[in-house]
Amino acid sequence: MFFRLVSSSRTAIIGAVAVIGVTGAAFAGPIEDRQANMKNVGKAMGALAAIAKKEAPFDAAVVNTNATTLAENVKEAKAHFPDGSETGDKETWAKAEIWQNKADFDTKADKSVDAAMKMAAVTDEADFGAALGALGATCKACHEDYRRPKQ
Amino acid sequence: MKQILAAVVMAGGLAAAAGWVIAAPDPLPASALKAHTANIENGKRLYTAAGCLSCHLPAKDNKQADMSLPSGGRVLKTPAGAFYPPNITPDTETGIGGWTDIQFINAVKRGISPDGRHYLPAFPYTSYSKMSDADVLDIKAYLDTLKPVEAENRAAELPLGLPVETPMRRGLGIWKIAAGFDPVEFVRDASKDDVWNKGAYLVQGPGHCAECHTPRDWAMAMDTSRWMAGGPHPEGDGKVPSLRDLKSRGRFKDAGDLATALEFGETLGYDKMSSGGMAAVQTNMSKLPAEDRTAIATYLMSLQ
Repeated sequence: MFFRLVSSSRTAIIGAVAVIGVTGAAFAGPIEDRQANMKNVGKAMGALAAIAKKEAPFDAAVVNTNATTLAENVKEAKAHFPDGSETGDKETWAKAEIWQNKADFDTKADKSVDAAMKMAAVTDEADFGAALGALGATCKACHEDYRRPKQ
Repeated sequence: MKQILAAVVMAGGLAAAAGWVIAAPDPLPASALKAHTANIENGKRLYTAAGCLSCHLPAKDNKQADMSLPSGGRVLKTPAGAFYPPNITPDTETGIGGWTDIQFINAVKRGISPDGRHYLPAFPYTSYSKMSDADVLDIKAYLDTLKPVEAENRAAELPLGLPVETPMRRGLGIWKIAAGFDPVEFVRDASKDDVWNKGAYLVQGPGHCAECHTPRDWAMAMDTSRWMAGGPHPEGDGKVPSLRDLKSRGRFKDAGDLATALEFGETLGYDKMSSGGMAAVQTNMSKLPAEDRTAIATYLMSLQ
């Protein structure tokens, strides 16, 4: 009996912790979520840019890892712009135009994912520059229309 | 009592008349120009550095328009109104075809139209006035090589439905005085080298970087005491970054790093090169000769 009580309390506690964990994540909200995704994108892009700038050697495995991370995070970020997340408690640099032109915004994000997937498939250094140029152009196209300028 | 009233009315009338006279456009006479042999290649370079096309683009929804030609119409939304930069292709009816050299110089460097009206300062003549006559005339020579496009110009829309024309437009003459607009060409700093001076000229003159990167004072004039210190975005959304202390703030390692950023932008992960109109600026910078980018970067990295 005693053990069963303990064990059920444990289950309850684990359950409670799990619930807190889930709501905790939900509390973070879409603005935090997409900003976290974009931070990962920035880091991955930085690693790729370092290769282009000859600050790091070309390594197909590094390219693959970072390009894949980039693609996954852009894909995830795209899902973190639900209606009603135009503004929030946290400062956001997303422009209202995103929600006015959602289809175009999604298309631009998809293009970025596609370009990153192509980059992930690069194994020859000779193809790297062109793939990075194409990928960077998709970042630029979306930020040009949909991100407010930052200080 | 009646006398006082009459005096006040008269004084008011005199003040208005004086204001009208003071606010009159002050164009340069044709005799002020030196003989010049146009260099079209240099004109194309400065047209790019000045970002002419970036504002004089056709409207986004104008499906027939050739987006590579500056036939105008794309809206420029600012808190001071909506502006539609005009057609600057050499069409004689709707563009600037047939303009004389002095008309073009007065437009670009003094903000005065051929028919003697002040241009709205959304047109950055406040910076372009720093350019040499030779460079401005080279831009004209380049524009004259473009395909003429017939595209009617659209009047600006001011807040509260204020009229754009008289007396508002004449009032811009008062603004030019209040804002301390003094059309003086760039002056070399003898204590600095040629690269720095070339960069300073490109940034302050054609590049008109300060129009957004320098905050404005009560008169909506650039506050030169806070030169390139950043501030609210002139289109009203977001903030323009400061271009001071770029190195100590960790933004760029050195002039080479900034020159690379200007050339490649986000292609090399320089992620603040795309928002708030900077994407168009960076695209223009990527088309300049490498030594121009190096000069621009050298000058900007020196700002403290």
